[in-house]
Amino acid sequence: MKCDDLRRRFAEYADGALPDDLCAEIERHIEGCRPCADLDHDLRDLQRMCRESPRPCLPEEARRRIENLLRERCEPE
Amino acid sequence: MTTDRPSRRDELERALREDGDRLYALALRVTRDPDLAADAVHDGFATAIERFDDFRGEAAVSTWLYRIVFRKAIDRLRRRGREQALTEEMIETDTLPEMRGGSSWSRPPDEILLGEEARRALEQALATLPPAQRAVFEMREVEQRTTEEVAEKLGMPEATVRVYVHRARLKLREALGPLFKGART
Repeated sequence: MKCDDLRRRFAEYADGALPDDLCAEIERHIEGCRPCADLDHDLRDLQRMCRESPRPCLPEEARRRIENLLRERCEPE
Repeated sequence: MTTDRPSRRDELERALREDGDRLYALALRVTRDPDLAADAVHDGFATAIERFDDFRGEAAVSTWLYRIVFRKAIDRLRRRGREQALTEEMIETDTLPEMRGGSSWSRPPDEILLGEEARRALEQALATLPPAQRAVFEMREVEQRTTEEVAEKLGMPEATVRVYVHRARLKLREALGPLFKGART
């Protein structure tokens, strides 16, 4: 496998959407190729950073606005 | 005559309770503005109220709301004319101009910490992505949804989700380059 092939398939590889034999071929290439190994390493680090990011919460005032909207505009049950 | 089917208000109140934070997060990822994001979620629920009878049975209420809020967030962004006039193409693709944050990364690798500084750098880099691409990327990587879930929630093909995520990863890697270089062993 060449570097261009790996980069073309990398999105699917990262998604776990490739068959096992192709994944194995990619992993063998990564082991022997520094630039592709760096790419794999960096994208895994990026993923980890993203997973540690705080999750935003709907502000209370905004939530109350929507609750009022539902109360005013939906028919009573 | 009674019915066991939940009312429009019941279903939308439940969606607000269970998905309000995630809908807001989606809108915030598109707009990067808490006020615009809150307005987009409000707009989304207003539309859902009006169109609820047309919707029933097509998909989960939350999925339907995701798609509405996503479009409302883009609408709000377009109306606000953030930074400059945004065309639909700019919002969906990579044609936004670069917006450099101005941080200096010319420090030795051992001074770059994977902590608050990295998180700020990531936020800054995320802000440079096209809004639709950013929203898809964050749903996939921050919320850890599968490609299938993101595609369903936003009403786009899985292949598009994969392309958006991959392009975003490469751009962020380039933007955060020295940070990663310093972290490699």
